[in-house]
Amino acid sequence: MKKIYLLIAIGFAFSSCEKDDVCDANTPTTPRLIIEFYDSVNNSDLKNLTNLKVIAEGMDEGIIFNESGTEITKYLTSQNKISLPLRITENVTKYRLILNSNVPSTINEDIIELSYDKEEVFVSRACGYKTIFGLTNTNLNIVAVDSNNWIDDIDIIEPNITSENDVHIKIYF
Amino acid sequence: MCISKYIFSISFVLLTVLGQAQEVKKKDSIPPKKERYGVRFGLDLFKLTRSFYEKDYRGLEAVGDYRLTRKHYLAAEIGNENKTVDDDQVNFTTKGTYFKVGFDYNTYQNWLDMENMIYVGMRYGVSSFSQTLNSYTIYNPNPYFNESLLVTPGDKFNGLSAQWIEVVVGMKAKIFNNIYAGFSFRMNRLVSQKIPNNFDNLYIPGYNRTYNGNFGVGFNYTISYFIPLYKATVKVKEKAVEKKKK
Repeated sequence: MKKIYLLIAIGFAFSSCEKDDVCDANTPTTPRLIIEFYDSVNNSDLKNLTNLKVIAEGMDEGIIFNESGTEITKYLTSQNKISLPLRITENVTKYRLILNSNVPSTINEDIIELSYDKEEVFVSRACGYKTIFGLTNTNLNIVAVDSNNWIDDIDIIEPNITSENDVHIKIYF
Repeated sequence: MCISKYIFSISFVLLTVLGQAQEVKKKDSIPPKKERYGVRFGLDLFKLTRSFYEKDYRGLEAVGDYRLTRKHYLAAEIGNENKTVDDDQVNFTTKGTYFKVGFDYNTYQNWLDMENMIYVGMRYGVSSFSQTLNSYTIYNPNPYFNESLLVTPGDKFNGLSAQWIEVVVGMKAKIFNNIYAGFSFRMNRLVSQKIPNNFDNLYIPGYNRTYNGNFGVGFNYTISYFIPLYKATVKVKEKAVEKKKK
């Protein structure tokens, strides 16, 4: 008889086991576009940016690269890799990439326009759906040409944006 | 998903041990007695009452069993459920019908003319259902744009099915005349299922909520009516076996 109670207790214990109700941060969900920056002379060398600020067209604030920074520095990066979210309700996202953004004399802004197809994919009960993207740009029509581009060249490495483990675009400057 | 797989296996072992352990129970020698055999029909009051107090749930389950031997009962459940689940990321409605069949093994030694049961059993369940995806949210861990992430497709997936095995532990007690009250706990394990394209069976009628690892749990609370068909004398042979074990 005691064993029956034990079984019932186990049954109760498991009815409350709902760990899969919270979306685990390690679960791959909607990916961002990953861009790496390279030296335009030595194409295989990663090159650090200098105070790059990135703002999507139509937005007032930049992408936060450094959560712990001040009101000004949290929007700046001097690394060689950035992750940019794409609009999931539209098929085009435009970004302003502003180099040397804190120095008015050398500030230089280039605009990239990313076009893509989207697909919504079921992940799990806790995470719902994610959106994955397929870039439809060619290497030549991403950067808007202006009188003084700081970006020399651009290379789409992986047009299918399904995870943040890949590098999707290489920018040479 | 937790350690459900292992618990399921452990419970199998426990049930087997339980079945054997009960045999050694002491019993006084009593004059030859007759026991009633028949069929029992009932309703699951748990599903019935949930239909009243839970806005997004409609369910009905009929249960029945037929006494095959002194301790073995053929048992079955048939039911229908309509449930809308509103989780953080998905909202969907599952509708469908299910049927479960199997056996119960009574481990309880009734005294005199008592007819109670504490039983263990197994079921094989099949369910045929549809899922309607009412709405879902696109999970975006990096919100930057002020976008609405809620999508309301209203897609309906028909012709879905699932099959599973249940391990049952429960009891039934005669409350008066031929009326019995009982409850049972079930641990379910999916055998196979037909999953909708780009969605999942997060709820299956008869099986309940699905968890990772093909594991599920169930419960019912039944009131049933016994229709006696015939009486059989408890065989001397059986009693002799019991005596020998003493």
